[in-house]
Amino acid sequence: MSESLSRSVQTDLSDTAMDRRSFLRTGLGGAMFLGTVSVTAGLSGCAIAPAGRDYPMPGAMDQSYEFQFLTRDDIVLFQALLPAMVGPGLTEEPVVRRQQIQATIERIDAGIHQFGPANQKELRGLFDLLNFGLTRVTVARVWSSWENASTQSVDAFLERWRTSGIGLFNNGYIALTKVSNVAFYGHEDHWHLSGYPGPPSWAMDALPQFKDNA
Amino acid sequence: MSLTDRIARGLEAGWKVTDGATLTQNQTHEADVVIVGTGAGGGTTAEILAKAGLSVILVEEGRLYHQKDFKMNELDAYASLYQEGMSRVTKDGAIAILQGRCVGGSTTVNWTSSFRTPAPTLNHWASRFGLDDLTPAAMKPWFDGREQRHNIEPWLADPNVNNDILRQGCEALGWSWEVIPRNVKGCWNLGYCGVGCPTNAKQGALTTTIPGALDNNARLFHGLRADKLVMSEDNISHLQASAMAADGVTPSGVTVDLKARHFVVAASAIGSPGLLLRSDIPDPHDRIGKRTFLHPVNATIAEMPDTVDPYYGAPQSIYSDEFNFSQGVDGPAGFKLEVPPLHPAMSAGVVPGHGEQQIHDLSKLPRLNSVIALLRDGFHPDSTGGTVSLRDDGSPILDYPVSDYLWKGLKDAFYKMAEIQFAAGARKVRLMHLDSPWYSSWAEAKAGIDNLAMEPHRVRLFTAHQMGGCGMGRNPEESVVNSFGEHHHVANLSVHDASIFPTSIGANPQLSVYALAARNSTRLAQKLGS
Repeated sequence: MSESLSRSVQTDLSDTAMDRRSFLRTGLGGAMFLGTVSVTAGLSGCAIAPAGRDYPMPGAMDQSYEFQFLTRDDIVLFQALLPAMVGPGLTEEPVVRRQQIQATIERIDAGIHQFGPANQKELRGLFDLLNFGLTRVTVARVWSSWENASTQSVDAFLERWRTSGIGLFNNGYIALTKVSNVAFYGHEDHWHLSGYPGPPSWAMDALPQFKDNA
Repeated sequence: MSLTDRIARGLEAGWKVTDGATLTQNQTHEADVVIVGTGAGGGTTAEILAKAGLSVILVEEGRLYHQKDFKMNELDAYASLYQEGMSRVTKDGAIAILQGRCVGGSTTVNWTSSFRTPAPTLNHWASRFGLDDLTPAAMKPWFDGREQRHNIEPWLADPNVNNDILRQGCEALGWSWEVIPRNVKGCWNLGYCGVGCPTNAKQGALTTTIPGALDNNARLFHGLRADKLVMSEDNISHLQASAMAADGVTPSGVTVDLKARHFVVAASAIGSPGLLLRSDIPDPHDRIGKRTFLHPVNATIAEMPDTVDPYYGAPQSIYSDEFNFSQGVDGPAGFKLEVPPLHPAMSAGVVPGHGEQQIHDLSKLPRLNSVIALLRDGFHPDSTGGTVSLRDDGSPILDYPVSDYLWKGLKDAFYKMAEIQFAAGARKVRLMHLDSPWYSSWAEAKAGIDNLAMEPHRVRLFTAHQMGGCGMGRNPEESVVNSFGEHHHVANLSVHDASIFPTSIGANPQLSVYALAARNSTRLAQKLGS
């Protein structure tokens, strides 16, 4: 971003930061704040378009999924979040682990596509707030870029938002954990982690919609 | 017999069903009656009017899914069958709203509990809102008729363990419990009602009234969003609607105008006020969208000593009304106690947490029980519910501030639910609250609840029941429609869904909607036929 724009954004945000607590206390203040961030994030060169098939997934086996909502920056964000979010459920083996993370982020994207425009707008604001360097540091208090953030620092961030006395942060925590947990634990590949055996096989064997030609 | 797919058979037989995604050019159609919504209210209305010989067009924003699509898979079902892909929440995000968005509406995804409107609720409506033609005695034939139509009777099989824990806890504490009436025929007792019944056993709108209407020449447009009712002088002339692409969420750009003599809105307590607000329907007393009610729900989970398998078996078969009306209909907030099914995606979304703790909690799933409390709102002067308004893009949003009155009831419910679970032998109990640890005894839980912050977001709140927003009443200054669902100011407009309830009802609402819609549609058929 240009130096003058950077300065004006900084002034703008530090004024805001003076009274951040009370400002964020109301949903309206929060929405306005997030709106500001979304605009400045776009101006500052943050990725604003859905990633499509162009996304940073080193060593990904299968690049056939087309992202409809998540941007390249969002994908990096979730690559950092998921090890803290569902960490113990991920395999250590690096190739499989990357596939697990990739597939979960794809499901998050597919799920959000069905959320429709209004809730997508809310999430856009939240993700931009986390992706934009200045607010990542001042609001989320994560010092390094998501790409370089340690799992411990991400966990500490999630814990701060979970225990915060500010409802907007609690709400952000719920939004992030809900989309991640549902996309991860809800998928057949991870049912064993919750001990869910899946639909009864006798019923699947008996029902026409499970036949190959259904 | 339950395996018969009425939808597949009807489509083969040439039902007039149009998928909005297949439309390539703007068009106009005409019928005697246009019905917006295909859930409990819209389906009932369509069948009764079509059987009376009236020409009917049904409009549904969601898509048509039936047995071939119902594969007991949570992620697919939540994305396709629920409003906003299961992400619908109240305005501040504090209450998650589970609501159907498909042909059959919420009846396609509900857990089949089918209660008559409680007598204290109907009596309260009579005295408070002048609805003295809706007394329990007056409504009885309509409940009888709908119980027959939807095969509603108390569940005869044993409850699953999840439900039996509620029974055992109540029994141990000397609190009342009852068996839940369900709308099923030939049920396999699988436990997947919430993701679309895989066996066609559920007798929701999708397998009863919608086929009944289509058999009688009704036309169904699905994947078609009702945008606006257009007034011409004192009446509505037509409905403007937008076709959705095959993804179900993106408008394709094709528009459809639907003309009719009469319009019935049955798009839910959020959708119906939304449509009326978008349409600038006359509203001299500013009532549309006001007094919209939920049954706000809080929940506890318990780790039991033995296997519960809370994902298998009829999801709801036992309830307790011990605390529902016990302090008077308009006293402190009462609540109905039930249990929810727990499948992995639902559990992962409902149990708040991340990291080690989360995987530890979820790994207990086979031994988890959950109890939920459904708070009764709208009966007390301090319990005025929420308000539906329009976002910038015209979509409806429900603002639902949780009043101190409700917080008090929710806290009371936390105590009662934890006590029930320990009385039924729970090893540990956790409240669905950001601050709740696992409690190891009732005494410990009680002390914990004493000090718990009852605040939005921290207390996890849910709801599957939306009511009001187009409330009925005798006085047009405080209501939108009369007791027949007829709009006070627009002669060719009726509302036939839960949005006409002047309060919440204190029970799962589907049978209340079926019965009232049947009564009001029978009258409408007479009026339009003469």
